[in-house]
Amino acid sequence: MKVTSLLLGICGVLAWSLAPAQSVDVSAAEALAKKSGCTKCHSVSAKKEGPSFKETAAKYKGKPDAEAALMKHLTTNPKIKVDGKEELHDSPKTKNEAEIRNLIQYILSR
Amino acid sequence: MIRTWWTNLRQRCQTCSRVTLGAGVLLATIVVGGVLLAAGAAGLAWTNTLEFCTGCHEMRDNVYAEFKGSIHDLNRSGVRAVCADCHVPREPVPMLWRKVKASLEVWGHLTGKINTKEKFDSHRYQLAKNVWTAMIRNDSHECRNCHKTDSMSSELQSEKARARHAKARAENVTCIMCHFGIAHREPDGPGPQELKIAK
Repeated sequence: MKVTSLLLGICGVLAWSLAPAQSVDVSAAEALAKKSGCTKCHSVSAKKEGPSFKETAAKYKGKPDAEAALMKHLTTNPKIKVDGKEELHDSPKTKNEAEIRNLIQYILSR
Repeated sequence: MIRTWWTNLRQRCQTCSRVTLGAGVLLATIVVGGVLLAAGAAGLAWTNTLEFCTGCHEMRDNVYAEFKGSIHDLNRSGVRAVCADCHVPREPVPMLWRKVKASLEVWGHLTGKINTKEKFDSHRYQLAKNVWTAMIRNDSHECRNCHKTDSMSSELQSEKARARHAKARAENVTCIMCHFGIAHREPDGPGPQELKIAK
């Protein structure tokens, strides 16, 4: 009985860890990106002042801390360099963490 | 030919003097010409309306659906830029030329070139590239119809915008090079800065 419960537990954890990440609401992510002014410096795939979402997705591909790293980057206004000058990176215009996570998943899935 | 026509006219109205007949012909020409001109101008103005542009489902279900809610559609001041404001020149001759080119797009409509979401998306990059190319070549003329450089107060802009615009001016970069994918979904592929299109 204990072995069965243990096996079921392991299967459950495995299934949870292997399950695909929550599907991205593309329209909501694009709307938040535009509302927050992200697209002034970042494009989906084209060149702008900041790296494209595709470049960011490639940089973090396969890295387990990708979401945490982007969450920190997007919410703590870190210093970034643009044309050799330091400036503060803006945060998304929302206090809703789920919306920010959706935006991060959108970026990582490009 | 004109002489024959004039002779015929004089024979039909033998009681009219040459001056009266000439004045009548001139007046008729002015009236008919005026009516035709007004009708043409009204027709041209009608083709610049949002209703006309979104009359076909290719535009209504794709680019117009994406435009809705964008900054050019909905904003704090209520100033709205519709399709023609960004995609049709205001000057008469360039406007007519754009209309001639647009009439060729009717062929695409009739042959169903972009009549499904999938077909539209498969042509999205080329369609966007056509617009970017035109706007780079005309120095973002349609943007500048509303966004006058002289009226853009750098004091009222954010520090970042001020720095970006100063750099753009110094490097002779035109609006569309950075401000693309604003009213419509950005296509996948190289952007205006990577296309290397000469002004």
